[in-house]
Amino acid sequence: MIGLYSWRKLLSFALISVLVFAALFWIFDTLKDSFLKVVRDNQRQLVTVLAESAPRDKELAEDWITAVNKEFNEADIIYVHGVPGWDELQVFTPNEQLRTFYESNYSSEDFEKALESVYYLENYYSSLEYSFEGKSVSLVLAPLIDETRYDMTGFLVFLMSAEAGENYTNLLNIFMIGAFAIFAIIYFISKFFRDPIMGYVIMGLFLMVGIFVAYPLFEAVRLTFLEDGKFSMQTWITILSSKQYLNALWGSVKLGILTASFSTIIGFIFAFVINRTATRGKKFLSTMGLLPVISPPFSLSLSLILLFGSNGLITKQILGLKDFTIYGLGGLTAVQTIGMFPIAFLTLSGVLQAIDSTLEEASLDLNGSRWRTFSKVTFPLAIPGVLSSWLLVFTNSLADFANPLLLAGSYKVLSVEAYIEVTGRNRLGHGAALSILLLMPTLTAFLVQRFWVSRKSYVTVTGKPSSRLSDLVSKPVKFGLITFIVLFIVFILGLYGTIVAGCFVANWGIDYSFTLKNITEALQRGRDAIVDTFTLSAVATPFAGLIAMMAALVIVRKKFAGKKVLEGLILAPFAIPGTLIGISYVLAFNKPPLILVGTGAIIVINYIIRELPVGVEGGVATLRQIDPAIEEAAQDLGADSTTVFRTIVLPLIRPAFISGMSYTFVRSMTAVSAIIFLISAQWYHMTVLIYNFSESIRFGLASVLSTVLIIIVFGAFGLMRLLVPKNEYMEKNVTLN
Amino acid sequence: MSKTSVSVRIENVTKVFKDVKGKADVIAVNNANFDIEPGELVTLLGPSGCGKTTTLRMIGGFELPTKGKIFLGNEDITFLPPNKRDTATVFQSYGLFPHMNVFDNVAYGLKLRKLPSKQIKDKVMSTLDLVGLKDLAQRAPSKLSGGQQQRVALARSLIVEPSVLLLDEPLSNLDALLREQMRVEIKRIQKTLGITTIYVTHDRVEAMSLSDRIIVMKNGIIRQIGSPNLIYEDPNSKFVAGFVGKVAFLPVEVLEIGETCKVKFEEKTVEVRKFSPEMSPGDSAVIMARPESLKLVDPSKGMIEGEVATNIYLGGSLESFVTTDHGEILVQIDNPAEKKVFAEGEKVSIAIIPHLAKVLPDKDE
Repeated sequence: MIGLYSWRKLLSFALISVLVFAALFWIFDTLKDSFLKVVRDNQRQLVTVLAESAPRDKELAEDWITAVNKEFNEADIIYVHGVPGWDELQVFTPNEQLRTFYESNYSSEDFEKALESVYYLENYYSSLEYSFEGKSVSLVLAPLIDETRYDMTGFLVFLMSAEAGENYTNLLNIFMIGAFAIFAIIYFISKFFRDPIMGYVIMGLFLMVGIFVAYPLFEAVRLTFLEDGKFSMQTWITILSSKQYLNALWGSVKLGILTASFSTIIGFIFAFVINRTATRGKKFLSTMGLLPVISPPFSLSLSLILLFGSNGLITKQILGLKDFTIYGLGGLTAVQTIGMFPIAFLTLSGVLQAIDSTLEEASLDLNGSRWRTFSKVTFPLAIPGVLSSWLLVFTNSLADFANPLLLAGSYKVLSVEAYIEVTGRNRLGHGAALSILLLMPTLTAFLVQRFWVSRKSYVTVTGKPSSRLSDLVSKPVKFGLITFIVLFIVFILGLYGTIVAGCFVANWGIDYSFTLKNITEALQRGRDAIVDTFTLSAVATPFAGLIAMMAALVIVRKKFAGKKVLEGLILAPFAIPGTLIGISYVLAFNKPPLILVGTGAIIVINYIIRELPVGVEGGVATLRQIDPAIEEAAQDLGADSTTVFRTIVLPLIRPAFISGMSYTFVRSMTAVSAIIFLISAQWYHMTVLIYNFSESIRFGLASVLSTVLIIIVFGAFGLMRLLVPKNEYMEKNVTLN
Repeated sequence: MSKTSVSVRIENVTKVFKDVKGKADVIAVNNANFDIEPGELVTLLGPSGCGKTTTLRMIGGFELPTKGKIFLGNEDITFLPPNKRDTATVFQSYGLFPHMNVFDNVAYGLKLRKLPSKQIKDKVMSTLDLVGLKDLAQRAPSKLSGGQQQRVALARSLIVEPSVLLLDEPLSNLDALLREQMRVEIKRIQKTLGITTIYVTHDRVEAMSLSDRIIVMKNGIIRQIGSPNLIYEDPNSKFVAGFVGKVAFLPVEVLEIGETCKVKFEEKTVEVRKFSPEMSPGDSAVIMARPESLKLVDPSKGMIEGEVATNIYLGGSLESFVTTDHGEILVQIDNPAEKKVFAEGEKVSIAIIPHLAKVLPDKDE
């Protein structure tokens, strides 16, 4: 026990904590008492009114009780006819269990007192607690006074439910303990931390991930093990024995494998041509190759439908095909490959850049043929990168929700199936279980990529890049590859062009006449959604940016217990499919103590939590390159932690900060998978509206909104490029959702 | 920039670094105690990993001691964060703010203290003048040479008028010539301001030339504290003797201890005036012989027979490397013009100048 933790300080901490706890307890106890008093008064009034209004004619008793119970269910009522001690008592109740309850308690001491009180025409409120049908109830007896006001025809027995009061007191208890915990932690930090501000930041981060990551996920997992409020494996048994759900799982995995394979091949061709051949216009090719990364959800699917759908321009108008369908595995693989190959491209580009081309030159020098050099030197060196990119795309494909929603047709994938369970069939438990099922392959792939593949990397960064290119391919092969790339890019541009064209066409597939009606209608009907989406994203952006940078600072520079846990929980939403996050938010924040569903806040929080990982990783990567002595020097000169953060850290990690923010903004604007569960009439989302328009075959309107979204996204990225010219880190992490 | 100087006291300070991955804890500093007088320049000297930087960082507030206390004057500063203690550190890597120019770097501490901008400007310019960088105020740190960056770091620390200046291997990133210049510069500024200074280095020449006192550390333990000449001439162990200068150790056996120490060296008895007190007769020991405490005499007239391997002429002195049964021994001959010089290949004998040598226990290298 030295210094920071002297006995005296600990003692005073304990003393003050006890005092505060006592004060809080007193306050909340008073609150509870006054609430219970109100409840009791209400009950008494109710009892009096009911006793007045009850029919004196015993023949009407049961009908009356049934009628009353329709209005109030906080009380079970027994009607007894006759004066106790004088008449034979007749018991009336529609519920046989109530009669049993009455008869088994009739001769008790409490009842005797009650009957006596009733006999003197006074209400009796029992101080004992009874239990009926497993719930605790309070007993009230009220006489039925006749017209003379001196005599009685019988009495009523009420079993008042204590549940409302209990719920309320439980809630108060939670608040009291919460308030005390927050006080104790803050007080502890201010008293025992050398740097309280950092302590508060760390505590804030823990609270944030605890409430908005761990708690909802816990709720989702918990729900899958509940049936009627009790532990049960029923949900999982149903899910795992149902062919339909297993089909969906297999469907997701199959799609993931196909997409990952195609994306990796195409990504490799792009990366190879750009990093290993002398070609003009590389910059243009690589920009075009990255274009799909930032295309909003639904847009590629939409244009695929416009071109190849049942009323598609190419399939119907040009080729006149009848049996072709874009819906299903084929179309999904196509659209996901186009959308996700840039991930592979970026990953493999990095890998190829890092492979020292002197190795290839050495092979060529030793008279190895080009093919031999490629297959024995270049490719083996790139294998960890290839695996890594395959797994990354696989993860993304599985988590993808927007494309399957529009394009799956009768093909089943898990993310959409979970959505249908929740919104269509109102089976939250099944939805949660399905999205947890989806997490398994995703998480496995993610962890394998993170901790296994990335460690097996053969690539060493020497710090002296050789700018020379070894000529690894012959002219015809090179020509073939470049032709492929150009055609692919033309196709992508064609897809975008289709969306823009869709804005100006009266009725795609039927009537191709030029019109501006779509634009006016879409902007009119979508105005609120556009404003909502923009506002919420704009609100989330600065928070996400700042929190990400603070979290990065804490992770890189501070040592504290539980750091790994904190880091894990902050980064977790990166690997968790949006569907699971959406469902778990609905579960966790639709009940006390935190009712957020329906508010804009939950959407903003969701944006922040989901986009934090990329910002944090960017911040961490940047901070790791900054000499800690710089921050120490500032602190040494008298700056406290906030000042160091504001004047030194933030300016130094500005690139990560800005790209983290623009990333959050763009991803928030284009979010679908989690948001679709959280929107409300008050707070709508553009992407969901695009989906609705597409579902109701208003492709023109959908095209207009997609175009607006594309413009906003490109605008945000353009702005970022202006502020931070070079930003590889972020691009590497942009993925679809 | 005058301020009353302040003393520093380290009391039973221990620092243990907990190693996370199940490895053993590292004791970086083991029960260190020392006092630094106001205005004194003290060097923490030792090989890398000896705990000298950790000690400095604890004084600066960047590490917390596991045990013990640190005082600035009479104030216990052990647990104060760096921004609350009146110390200023010049970091080995300088830690200049890359997004600010020289002026703003130096002004940073003053701006935090909310001084009027006129006053800030005057002070910054006069401090830059002190370190000779007046003309470079608008430069970015990345556009400065190593020596200039070093001066900016120094100016940035000095301007806040700390009670104690902490320098962490400030010259290690400079080339030899610049190092010598900066050494003189630092000493001049320190004496001008009279600021209590703690200087960390592994370079004995730096330590010798700068310090009022030197604290020699090894493996987290303080081995000796004393003025440069005490440490050099009267080291308390083989380690200190070897670390602060060139030395030859001749194995001997202690015969008698009294006013002087009589030892047996290869059947010869030698009487040496200085010796470590903890030895007793019969112990094996060494004679610490610095190059200047030896002289060359004709064969068989001295203690150790040998042959001159190389002579290096340095102007004011001559260094003779003599091959003997005890390895190669360096003998320094001052004013060689006035003395007899043995040519390379000649047989010689090495004699000890008894009042310059010292007998040390033969343990711990």
